[in-house]
Amino acid sequence: MKKLLTTAAALAMLAPAAYADGHNAYVIGVSNTVQGNGWREQMICAMRAQAAAEGDVDSLIVAHRNTDAAGQLEDLNNLIEAGVDAIVLNPANPDALNSALDAAIAAGIVVVAVDAGVTAEGAYILSNNQEEYAYLGARWLFEQLGGEGDVVYMRGIAGVSADTDRDNGFQRALAEYPNINVIHEVFTGWQQDQGKQQMFDFLATGIPFDGVWTSGIDNVIVDAFTESGAPLVPIVGADNAGFVEYLSTVEGLSGAAVTNPGSVGGAGIALAVDILNGEAPEDTTVLVDPVLWENTTEEGREVIANAQNPNLDPEWPVSVTVPGWTDYSMEDIIACEG
Amino acid sequence: MTRLVQKHAWVLGLLVLLMVLLGITKLIQPSFGATGLESLARAALPFAFATAAMAIVVIVGGIDLSIASMMAVCGVTAAVLMQSMGAVPAIIITLGVGTAMGAINGALIVVTKVPDIVVTLAMLFVWEGVALLILSTPGGNVTDAMQGIIAGSILPGLPMALVVMAVAIALVWMPVRRSKIGLSIYAVGSDELAAFRSGVSVGWTKVVAYALCGLLAAMGGMSLIMLTGIGEPVPGPYLLASVAAVVLGGVVLGGGRGGLLGPIIAVFILRIIRTILTLAAVDPNVTTIVEGVIMVAVVMLGAIVTYRGVRA
Repeated sequence: MKKLLTTAAALAMLAPAAYADGHNAYVIGVSNTVQGNGWREQMICAMRAQAAAEGDVDSLIVAHRNTDAAGQLEDLNNLIEAGVDAIVLNPANPDALNSALDAAIAAGIVVVAVDAGVTAEGAYILSNNQEEYAYLGARWLFEQLGGEGDVVYMRGIAGVSADTDRDNGFQRALAEYPNINVIHEVFTGWQQDQGKQQMFDFLATGIPFDGVWTSGIDNVIVDAFTESGAPLVPIVGADNAGFVEYLSTVEGLSGAAVTNPGSVGGAGIALAVDILNGEAPEDTTVLVDPVLWENTTEEGREVIANAQNPNLDPEWPVSVTVPGWTDYSMEDIIACEG
Repeated sequence: MTRLVQKHAWVLGLLVLLMVLLGITKLIQPSFGATGLESLARAALPFAFATAAMAIVVIVGGIDLSIASMMAVCGVTAAVLMQSMGAVPAIIITLGVGTAMGAINGALIVVTKVPDIVVTLAMLFVWEGVALLILSTPGGNVTDAMQGIIAGSILPGLPMALVVMAVAIALVWMPVRRSKIGLSIYAVGSDELAAFRSGVSVGWTKVVAYALCGLLAAMGGMSLIMLTGIGEPVPGPYLLASVAAVVLGGVVLGGGRGGLLGPIIAVFILRIIRTILTLAAVDPNVTTIVEGVIMVAVVMLGAIVTYRGVRA
């Protein structure tokens, strides 16, 4: 009976695998360790949409779950066993995955890390330029304040490479504006509820400040101001759909959204296909530069109005494509098939 | 012979299921071989230690929800110690730390008489905080020699990781199982009052069981850093996975019945299912559902078979 059940299950599982054979095209493996986060879900959908748009990709094997670095090692090894031609991953840690990545590269598998770097030799890295992300937003904020004032600095997760890079960019902007003072620095853990509570707590202290820089936990910070009745100050966030909407709807809010597209995942698939086709870039690290959208000028408001899309999940970044890299349409990525 | 088969029916059934699943893997991916088995054994390593640790406290009639946090503490402890000392002293100290944490859990349960589930839930957060105090961001150092222990195969088809796992768990469990304390663990798990009236020191037995759990969790934490090469302070998904493997492995959640072999085979079954689902490119949002359904189906089937066996 047990045997019967498992054989039946196996036959059911075999069906999709059978389609993988037949044509002569690439199979790409995907590994990601955060499930249920808007940014990461957009990344996965961008990967699917780009794979469907690429003529050379036959199928995608997606290992997408909440796990630790050891779990990602397991997924990577399984993808190697599955005989994929390339692996596109969002690494849990830059150093922890080397045993599997080295094995993959030794087996001739193309490895592309998106969103964050890996230290394995021979791996390609395609990431949003996080240092530039922080620098652009911070510089805009400091200019808004006329070059002097106190700001609240709301970071991501300590020790994560994206946070370290952003801090470098923030500090670079800070050095250019010597009269700007960081009055309060916290780590939000990139968690909406935690960031909101931290802003409530700081507002409750009554210490005055002139502006807020956030590492992408943004719309809830606006909520904290409006819910506690505090006067709004300039706020910098990311291009998450919810925050971008606030920039055009919340009375008295001046702010800026810096793009940090999750669709960089789609660009990762495009890069992997380029490398497989023998068109590897000269440098193994490719950075996607961010753009800043602000609501204090007429042109800025127009850009924001055009970027908004009511069909998008509010937690998704509104920049759903990476110009020059991705080939899919807005409908493709929302459909999330491929 | 038939009595032996009957006594170990559940373990044998799991073994057959594992063989069938390995066969299915080979069917889906004909190239699956020695390296595949190595990857499987390496992936199973932290889960196997967590499961063995959990099985012992479940057998004594308790449960330890702090297991993943203790693994994180031991992982970062060893990774930090290895920055300044050799692997051997670091391993010995870490094993001591794990045993002490387990003993603290057990002592709190015995002394305060607060239910196991409450004490260890609280300790989950305590140990999690301790891990972050030791190392606030992933880092530390793991010697190459230590990472090399679980790489490769000792014989074709016999991965080193499997040998390390079997030897380490056997070294802890075999002497216990064959001694008075092992018997006491089963006695306390089946009926605490009867055990007490038979002269078993119930409190002491529980503390020892939880300390053994801590010792195995320390091994689990070290297996994590052997895999990744760094210490990670944030606990991984080992709590629920270990409870699942313990149940699937035939240990009764009320205590007193079961062993360690069944749960460890169950770990391999759960890992190979993950491999099969990846090889077959099943939608990742469906994989956890499939994993859960297979587990429930196997446990239910087992219950039905056992029930029929009892009536016949």
